[in-house]
Amino acid sequence: MKRYHWMLLVLLGVWVMAQDSSLPGLKETGNYTQGSLGQVLQPLPVTNAQPDGVYSVGAWPLYTPELADGPGKELVMGYCQVCHSTTYITMQPPLPAATWDAEVQKMIKTYGAQIPDDAAKQITAYLQAHYTPETRKQ
Amino acid sequence: MDNPMHRRNFLQRAAGVLAAAGMLPWVKAQTSSQTAEALPSFTGPGPNPYWNGVNPFVVYPQKLPLLRLTDRGIQLETPRQYFRTAFTPNEAFFVRYHLDLIPNSIDLSSWRLNVEGNVEKPLTLSMQDLLTRFKPVSVAAVNQCSGNSRSRFQPRVAGGQWGNGAMGNAIWTGVRLMDLLQEAGVKPGTVQLQFQGLDRGPGPEGKGSNAFIKSLDWNDPVLQECIVAYRMNGEPLPMLNGFPVRLVVPGKFSTYWMKHLTWIRALTKPDDNFWMATAYRIPDTPRGNTTPADIAAGKVKTVPIGNVNMPVRSFIVDPDGSSKLVAGLPVEIRGVAFSGYGRVTKVEVSLDGGKTWRVAQLGDYHGPYSFRTWSFQWKPTQPGRYTLAVRATDEKGNVQPDEPVWNPGGYLWNRIERQDVVVGTAS
Repeated sequence: MKRYHWMLLVLLGVWVMAQDSSLPGLKETGNYTQGSLGQVLQPLPVTNAQPDGVYSVGAWPLYTPELADGPGKELVMGYCQVCHSTTYITMQPPLPAATWDAEVQKMIKTYGAQIPDDAAKQITAYLQAHYTPETRKQ
Repeated sequence: MDNPMHRRNFLQRAAGVLAAAGMLPWVKAQTSSQTAEALPSFTGPGPNPYWNGVNPFVVYPQKLPLLRLTDRGIQLETPRQYFRTAFTPNEAFFVRYHLDLIPNSIDLSSWRLNVEGNVEKPLTLSMQDLLTRFKPVSVAAVNQCSGNSRSRFQPRVAGGQWGNGAMGNAIWTGVRLMDLLQEAGVKPGTVQLQFQGLDRGPGPEGKGSNAFIKSLDWNDPVLQECIVAYRMNGEPLPMLNGFPVRLVVPGKFSTYWMKHLTWIRALTKPDDNFWMATAYRIPDTPRGNTTPADIAAGKVKTVPIGNVNMPVRSFIVDPDGSSKLVAGLPVEIRGVAFSGYGRVTKVEVSLDGGKTWRVAQLGDYHGPYSFRTWSFQWKPTQPGRYTLAVRATDEKGNVQPDEPVWNPGGYLWNRIERQDVVVGTAS
């Protein structure tokens, strides 16, 4: 249960940040929640909604697969998930070590991810240790 | 430009996510009991051999189960079976976001479409204005991701590992972009029109990780065809497809079809933001084809993918190889075809892997930018293994090639598609 509570806190944090918005008409954005496994309940029709100008949907469900275990995993989960879930890693085909290095550098230089040099080195080493053609298992 | 996420917030958010790293529970994929064996969880370093990507089914608001590429930001692929018809259901239409702050709720009482920049009279239009002050028009048009079929590339390239399902066709209804611009009065000196929606990311302002922004050249003839669409297949747009309005750019890849469209800006200088200057660029070569060696040598000049239209493509939807066919039992080979360069004039089917070709029957014509269905009646008489193939030709004479394409972005795939089938005996 403790792990579950932590997850809710993270998601709440992301969501609270997202509400600091001055975009016209934007009532809520970036609301995510853990997605369901197995059977999925049908959505209730919106017949009870108010006939006003607000058009809403539920939170976006997360379906994030587990990363390979190994040194650097927690750094990846922390820094990479500031902007995107680690599904962006597991979705890729096995990529050469040089490509993973370039991807990490792109996140820092092009997209402005604020990752200390030492952490970036460990993140790159982790990705190369688990997600190249030679190393990928899952 | 308004931005919800400033540097301070980015750091706060980074701290929050970091604090909880290692504590997140993980989703364990389940193997469907529908099949004895599931697809692998990834493909590579060889090409993905399957029609769709190998990703699992997931359920999102306003959507039927789709194939999850990524869950934050959200990228969902349409399963093959939804392409049996010329129009793709809204509930099954693919989803592709670049950033993770995706609207969950929009208030039309304060939402406005802004037409601004180098114009005589800036406009601030409500949904009511769009519905009542401008003549509605409709177009049937295919919306296809630039990276559709990226998982076919050899060598593989990083990016969304789509199979063939990052596409869909809909009847889009809304107001002509040019009607809005005429009312605003675009001033001389305009070189591009810039489009921006309500989705944002947590990255620093001015970076591609903060906002997704695209521009089209002011002299591009496609502007005459563009629609600011508030209806999709006769319904309001699903949130994940751009509610309340999105830009429709017939014949061009989806990257220009801005979702949650809220700003249209007339620019006097070419847009040099990340999403124009760095991303979504293709080699300035036939088919956008190049090699890893030429890229590494820095020899390749690139242009925005908007400089080209979508190349001609066709797809086999049935039979899909999920079960054996029966010798002597007729089967309908069928699917869809389209081209960004105009009407599909011919679809040909091969029963021998592409050695010989026979003309398929074309379905109804819904306009030059739409899917066109095709079908071919086949009665396999001999048990065995067959490789079916399909190729389309458009009105400009473009024929699908059998050579692969390669570029570092994973764009513009349009090689001939194949489907292996097994025919069993009836006796």
